Amino acid sequence: MSALIDVENLTLKFRTDEGLVTAVDNVSFSINKGEVMGLVGESGSGKSVTAKALMHLNARNAVYTPESKITLHTDDGPVDVLSLKRPADLKVVRGGAISMIFQEPMASFAPAMTVGKQMVEQLMLHSDMSKARAKDISVEMLDRVGISDASSRFNQYAFELSGGMRQRAMIAMALSTQPKLLIADEPTTALDVTIQAQVIDLMKDLVDEFHMGIIFITHDLGVVAQTADKVSVMYLGRLIEEGPVRPVIRDAKHPYTQGLLAALPKLDDLDAPLMPVPGDIPSPLERPSGCVFHTRCGKVVGEVCMAVRPEYVTTEPDHRVACHIYSEATS
Amino acid sequence: MSDNDVLISARGLSVGFRIGGGLFGKSILKAVDGVNIDIEKGSFYGIVGESGSGKTTLGRALLKAVPITEGEARYTDEDVDYDLTTLDGAELKDYRKRAQLIFQDPYAALSPRMTVRDIIAEPLEVMGLTRSREETDERVREIAAKCRLNLEHLRRFPHAFSGGQRQRISIARALVSGPNFIVADESVAALDVSIQADVLNLLKQIQKEMGLTFMFISHDLSVVAHTCDHVAVMYLGRLVETAPTREMFREPKHPYTRALFSAIPSLDPDDRGKAQKLEGEIPSPTNQPPGCKFHTRCPHAEYRCMQEEPKLEAAGNGHEVACHRWKELLEMVPA
Amino acid sequence: MTDVNTTPESLTNQKAKEAYFTASQSQLIWARFKKQRAAMVAAIVLLVLILSGLFAPFLSPYDPTIAGRDKDYTNGAPQIPQFCDKNGCSIRPFIHAVKRERSMATNFRWVTTVDEDTRHYMTFLPEGDDYQLFGFIRMDTHLFGVENGKIHLFGTDEDGQDIFSRTLHSIWTSMKVGSIGVFIAFVLALIIGGVSGYYGGWIDSVIQMVTDAVRTVPAIPLFMAVAAFMPPEMTAEARFFYISLILGFIGWPTLARRVRTHLLTERNQEYVLAAQLCGAKPGHVIRKHLLPSFTSYIIVDLVISFPYMVLSETALSFIGLGLKDPVSSLGVMLQKATSADVLLNYQWYFIPVIFFIALVMAFVFVGDGLRDAADPYSDSHK
Repeated sequence: MSALIDVENLTLKFRTDEGLVTAVDNVSFSINKGEVMGLVGESGSGKSVTAKALMHLNARNAVYTPESKITLHTDDGPVDVLSLKRPADLKVVRGGAISMIFQEPMASFAPAMTVGKQMVEQLMLHSDMSKARAKDISVEMLDRVGISDASSRFNQYAFELSGGMRQRAMIAMALSTQPKLLIADEPTTALDVTIQAQVIDLMKDLVDEFHMGIIFITHDLGVVAQTADKVSVMYLGRLIEEGPVRPVIRDAKHPYTQGLLAALPKLDDLDAPLMPVPGDIPSPLERPSGCVFHTRCGKVVGEVCMAVRPEYVTTEPDHRVACHIYSEATS
Repeated sequence: MSDNDVLISARGLSVGFRIGGGLFGKSILKAVDGVNIDIEKGSFYGIVGESGSGKTTLGRALLKAVPITEGEARYTDEDVDYDLTTLDGAELKDYRKRAQLIFQDPYAALSPRMTVRDIIAEPLEVMGLTRSREETDERVREIAAKCRLNLEHLRRFPHAFSGGQRQRISIARALVSGPNFIVADESVAALDVSIQADVLNLLKQIQKEMGLTFMFISHDLSVVAHTCDHVAVMYLGRLVETAPTREMFREPKHPYTRALFSAIPSLDPDDRGKAQKLEGEIPSPTNQPPGCKFHTRCPHAEYRCMQEEPKLEAAGNGHEVACHRWKELLEMVPA
Repeated sequence: MTDVNTTPESLTNQKAKEAYFTASQSQLIWARFKKQRAAMVAAIVLLVLILSGLFAPFLSPYDPTIAGRDKDYTNGAPQIPQFCDKNGCSIRPFIHAVKRERSMATNFRWVTTVDEDTRHYMTFLPEGDDYQLFGFIRMDTHLFGVENGKIHLFGTDEDGQDIFSRTLHSIWTSMKVGSIGVFIAFVLALIIGGVSGYYGGWIDSVIQMVTDAVRTVPAIPLFMAVAAFMPPEMTAEARFFYISLILGFIGWPTLARRVRTHLLTERNQEYVLAAQLCGAKPGHVIRKHLLPSFTSYIIVDLVISFPYMVLSETALSFIGLGLKDPVSSLGVMLQKATSADVLLNYQWYFIPVIFFIALVMAFVFVGDGLRDAADPYSDSHK
C-alpha cells in the first residue's frame, strides 16, 4: 500500500487572549491509499484541528512548531503542506487532492446558491473542464450518492433538502474532484440514527469504488468499529493509542480508550452499570504535565505518570500506545 | 397498567401549530398527534424518536411551555390534581414548582451573564420559595453539593465550565424548587461519551434520593435502555410502540423500532452489513403521509397501511404496538 | 472534582485563572478592549478632549463670547509662547507684544506688527474673567494668561474672540448637544424597539412600519421647517435644547432597529425559556436576561452614534439653522470661515476643525474597539 499522507511531529498551538494554548502535541501518523482511519476523540482532543492542519486550514492565530511536517504524496511528487503559502499552491491541497466534509451540512453550502451551481464551481476551480461537462459530472455524483431525481435536485437550494440529503450532497461535492484523501469531520453526528446508517453504508461503498483514503473523525466508537480499518485515539492533543480496528476495540491498551469503551451503554447487557471516566476533561488552559491523562487515570503507575510524557510502545504489530504501564513492562 | 400512582397521564394529546407565516396562517402542523401516555410515580420513562417525532414538543406540552391543542392531560400527586389543558393563574404557578425541564444544550441553557449561584437561585427567587437571602444560599449550596459542584464554582460564570459541568448546573437549577416531575430533553446528547455516563448516573442517583419521576427524551436507544424502566417510541408525532424496557428490548414489535435497533452501529467490527437499513427520508411534519405514518419507509407496508392509521393495541406484558401487521411480522421476521 | 494539577502551579497563575473564571461580562470586555492599541490610544485622546471640554472655562484664558474679546487684536495670528528670542533665553515662556497702527501703505487699514523687543511673560493660574465651572461653581482663576495684554494661542477671529477659548468651549457644547440627542434617541429606541422585539407578531410589524416611515424623513428640510418656526427671540439655551431634542427624534429609528433585532434573537434563547418555565414575568426576563445580553451592543451603538450627532449639529449650525452666537460650537465658528478673505488670509480659523476630526475619530475608534471586544460570549461554543 502506498502512503497518501504522512504527518510527522505535528505540534500546534493557538494564540488566544488567555495565552498560548496547545491544541495538538506531537502527533504522527500516515494514511495509505484505500485505508479508512477512524480518528476518535472527545471535545478538546484536537482531532478537528489536526484534520484542518492537513489542508492548512487553521486560523491565523495557529502556531506550528518547526518540527511539524505534513507530506502529501501527489502524482507529481511529495508536497510539504505546511510550507504552502500561495493560494495557487494551496488549491492543490484544498479541494483538489484532499476534500473535507463537515458535521453541519447547512454550513458548507452557501444559502443563496443552488447546490448544483456550487458543485460546478468547485469542479471548475480544480480543473479546466467546460461548464457542461462539470454539470454532467455533478449530476452523476448526486445520483451516485443516492439522491433520487438528481437532475432536479441539482437546481435546488440547500435549505430545500433534508438533513440526510444535504449530507449526501456534500459528499457528492467533495468527491466530484476525485480527491485522494477525504476528511470527514463528524459527518453523521448531526443525523438521525436511521439516516446515519445509510450514510455510513454510502461512504463504505465509495471507499471501495474510488479507492480513496478517508480520515473519519468522530466521537462515536460504534461508527468507527463499522467503518474504519485503523483507529487513532486522541486526548487533549496527544495521540494516545493507534492500531488496526480489531485490536484497539477488542483489546484496548490505553486506560482512556478502555474507559471510553466501558462508558458506552451496551445493548447486550442492560444490567451493567454505566462506567464514566472519572473527572472532567481539563481545560486547555490547564494542561496536565507528564501524561496528559494522569488526572483522570485509574491506573496511574507512579510519579512517572505525572512527570514524564510517555513515549510510544508497540505492543503488537502496528498497535502502539503512549502509556507508562507498557513502558514499565518492557523496560 | 399496575396500580402504582400515575403522576402524569394523557389521552389523545395533540399539539398543533399554525404555520404559513404572517397574520393569516392556514395549515396546521401537528407535532404531537393523539398520544396516550401514563407515567407512574418514581419511574424513569423514556421517549425515543428521531427528528420530527414530536418528542420534544410532547415534553414541553406536559410542562405547559407550549399549548395543548387537543386531548387531555393530568398531573396527580398526593397534594394536587391538575388538568393540564386548563391550567393557569395560581395553579399554573404552583405546577411550575412541581414540574421542571433540563435542556439539551448546556451552552445555551445557562445565562452567560449570571453567576452559577444566581442561575441556580433564580427559580427560588422568581417563585418566592425562600424568605431570605441566607435561606436561598443554603438551598443553593445543598443542591449544588448533590450535583457535585464545589462551593467555589458558585462564584464563577458559565464560561468557566465544561459541557458536563454545565449540565450539572442545569440539573441543579431544575431541582432547586423541589419538583416531583422532571423532563430531561436530550440532556446527555451534547455531552462526550465519558461524561455522559457520569451525568446519567447522577440523574439516577438523584431520582432515588429525591423520589423523582423522570421523563427522559432521547434519540439514543442504548442510553434509554440503560437508564429507563419504560420506553415509548415516537414517529412523526405518533406513539408507535411502548413497553417496559426489558420487554421492549427482548422483542421489539414495530418495524420502526426494529429498524432503530439495527441502525445502531455495533461495536463489533465483524458485525458489518447485517443491519436492516431503512430506505428513504423521514417525511416532513408538514407533509405527513396518509394512513400509517411509517408506511413510506416500511419494508412490510401493504395496501391497508396506506389507508388506515393503526391504533395502539395491547400485546401482552405491558407492551403496546400501533401496527396493522405486528402479529404476522413476529412470525415472519424474528426479532 | 476540580482539575488538580500536580505540578506546582505558581500562585499568580492560579489567581489569574480564577480571575478569568469569575470575570463578569464587563470585566471580560475591558480585558479584550485593552489589547487593542488603536482603541486604547483613541480612548485616551477621547478622555483628554472630554476633560478639556469639561474644564473649558478654566483652561481657556478668556471668556469665549463677545465679552472677552480683544479689541486690539482682531483677526490676529496665533501667538505661540517662546522660551528664546534674539535677546536671549529665559525660563519663563513669553510672547512678543503686538502693536497696531493704521498704516498709510495699506490705505489706512490696521496693520499688526510684532514688537520683538517687548516681552509679555506668561502667568499661571492668574485671575481673569468670571465664569461658572460646571455651571455652578463661581471661579475666576484660569490656567494661564499673560502679564500684559492677551495671549491668543490659536489666534482671534474678526471680532477679536480668542479662538483657543472658543474651541474648548465648542467641544463641550458639541458634547452636550450630542449627549442629549443620543440620550433621547436611546430612550425612544429602547422603548419602541424593546416593545417591538419582545412581543413580535403584529405589534412588531406595525411598529416597524412606523419606524421606517420616520426614517425616511429627510433631515435638512425638516430642520429648515423647524428653524422657521423657532422665534428668533428664543434664548440660546432654549434653542440649544430644542436642537438636541430634534436630533434625538431623528436618530431613534436606527437604534430602535438594533434593539429590536437583539431582542428577537435573544428571547428565543434557551435560558430565557428556562426562566419563563419558573414562572418569571416579562419584566424579570427583560431585566435579568435580555437587557444584559445586549448592553454591550447598545453601548457600542451609542458610542458610534455620537459622532453623527456632533456632525449633524455642526452642519445645522453651519448653515445657520442651529445654534447661534453667543453659544460657540464648531458649526457656529465655521460660519465665519466662509469668506474668501478668511480662506486666503486667516487660515487659523480652521484650527478647531482638527480638534473635531480628532474627536470624531476618537469616538469611531473607541466604538470599533468596543464592538470587537464586545460580547465575549459570542464564541462560547468551545
